[in-house]
Amino acid sequence: MKDVVIIGAGIHAFGRFDKTAEEIGSHAARMALADAGLAWSDIQASYLSRMYLPATSGARILRKLGGTDMPIVDIEAACASGGAALRQGVLAIRSGECDVVMVLGAEKMPRGFMDPRMIYADWQIEMGLSLNPSYWSMRAMRHMHEYGTTDLQIAKIAYKNHRNSVHNPNAMYRKEFSLEEILGSPLVCDPIRRLEICAPDDGAAAVVIASADYARKIGARAPITIAGSVHTIARYSADFRCPADSMSATANNEGPTEVTARKAYEQAGLGAEDVDCFEVQDTDAFCELEIYEELQMCPVGEGGRLIDEGVTEITGKHPVNMSGGLISKGEPVGASHLGQVVEIVSQLRGESGARQVEGARVGLAHVLGAGGNCAITILRK
Amino acid sequence: MTDSTPLSDFRPVRSGLMTGALDDLASVGLAGSRCRACGETTLGANTLCPNCGSDDVFPIALSDEGKVWTYTVVRYRPPGDYKGAEPFQPFAIGLVELPEGLRVVAPVGGDPDAVRIGMTVRFTARARADGVVEFVYNPAA
Ligand SMILES: [Zn+2]
Repeated sequence: MKDVVIIGAGIHAFGRFDKTAEEIGSHAARMALADAGLAWSDIQASYLSRMYLPATSGARILRKLGGTDMPIVDIEAACASGGAALRQGVLAIRSGECDVVMVLGAEKMPRGFMDPRMIYADWQIEMGLSLNPSYWSMRAMRHMHEYGTTDLQIAKIAYKNHRNSVHNPNAMYRKEFSLEEILGSPLVCDPIRRLEICAPDDGAAAVVIASADYARKIGARAPITIAGSVHTIARYSADFRCPADSMSATANNEGPTEVTARKAYEQAGLGAEDVDCFEVQDTDAFCELEIYEELQMCPVGEGGRLIDEGVTEITGKHPVNMSGGLISKGEPVGASHLGQVVEIVSQLRGESGARQVEGARVGLAHVLGAGGNCAITILRK
Repeated sequence: MTDSTPLSDFRPVRSGLMTGALDDLASVGLAGSRCRACGETTLGANTLCPNCGSDDVFPIALSDEGKVWTYTVVRYRPPGDYKGAEPFQPFAIGLVELPEGLRVVAPVGGDPDAVRIGMTVRFTARARADGVVEFVYNPAA
């Protein structure tokens, strides 16, 4: 199989801006091109990850960079859109058809809870069963019941991510909160609180990827290998995150993150113990705790212990969400995975400043969302 | 056959979800389907089994009584066309485990702060002012 490498990365800060999707998208794309030392005319195919932007947004954003006859395709897989788009780029290169590809994630979203009509049926909306955090919270309640996970452990994850964000100029919120402030913030859906949850926003991030041969030919600076690129949909009843109307009490299918991690580790030929830094889907603080277990950083039920022992701090054995996570950056759905990938690239290049994981050589980016969509990208220096 | 017969202006909140006569709320229950190939029970009147893909699926009635497997309290007004109490009142929702091997996402009635995992609850159909029949699981007496 052809080795695929990232040769350029770019990002437009996540937050709320009085700018169009074209403006923030082309900013990230041009930054990735400049980082790769390439011109737009060098790119042979492009993929846009987005969920809320309208049809053909990829072409609308990227045609502004100059006339082209390359294929430009929009990809949507809910919160995992970015991983699905990156995988299409990787496949285009592995197939031998392309040497160099642009993968862009861009989004502009309304404030407040996401429009429920995007993923729920009318009856679920009418009955009040359409608040995404209510599903995350039901998972948290069950985990607390089965394993004794506590409110304090969940709050500690939010505390860590808010504190990490202070050093990330691309985050929407860059403010440290005390545990008291987090535990004192209003409940959204028990046990999840306002300061433990992410907000939708705007943002864009992009990578230029190429075959390893192409990267050598142009003398690319610090290419980063895409060692694993996997996107999956959860099997029947393997996930009740949302939208769900029921789940089986008898079927025992592997959850979306577990399946995706298993395949991604296999593709990369490594395990959780080999990964130096992680960026994961902390739509809510509990979600991150559960992901520790599902990415095999610890046995099931011990996610709370990991945060208690500081294992997932920037200085810990398994640093998670050095960027501040979605809790601080917000979740511009289509852009969020590419944003994680740009963070990992910066970590592996040793360019992350105060949030740098010392000596990071392998990093993993994980997204998870509606319909049991999950994507994982593993990067290696 | 699982669809209720609307004798009056009553309509089900979702077609294929309920059994019984909508103008006699006490007769209304949840519809289920069972797969002959894999044995899985699913919610509503289905023609395909989402577990194994078989179309050898037959209707079954779901029990009224179940246990709260997990729950949360919704403390902000859900977005969009929510038809619950105005002004908004926090309410509990849960996954209610039924003896047929299925957990159903549903509102749980009564004091939201009194809901607990393992609590026994009972299916209750209720008619909204607009004639739509929806459902809630109320704490068993
Ligand atoms: Zn079946």
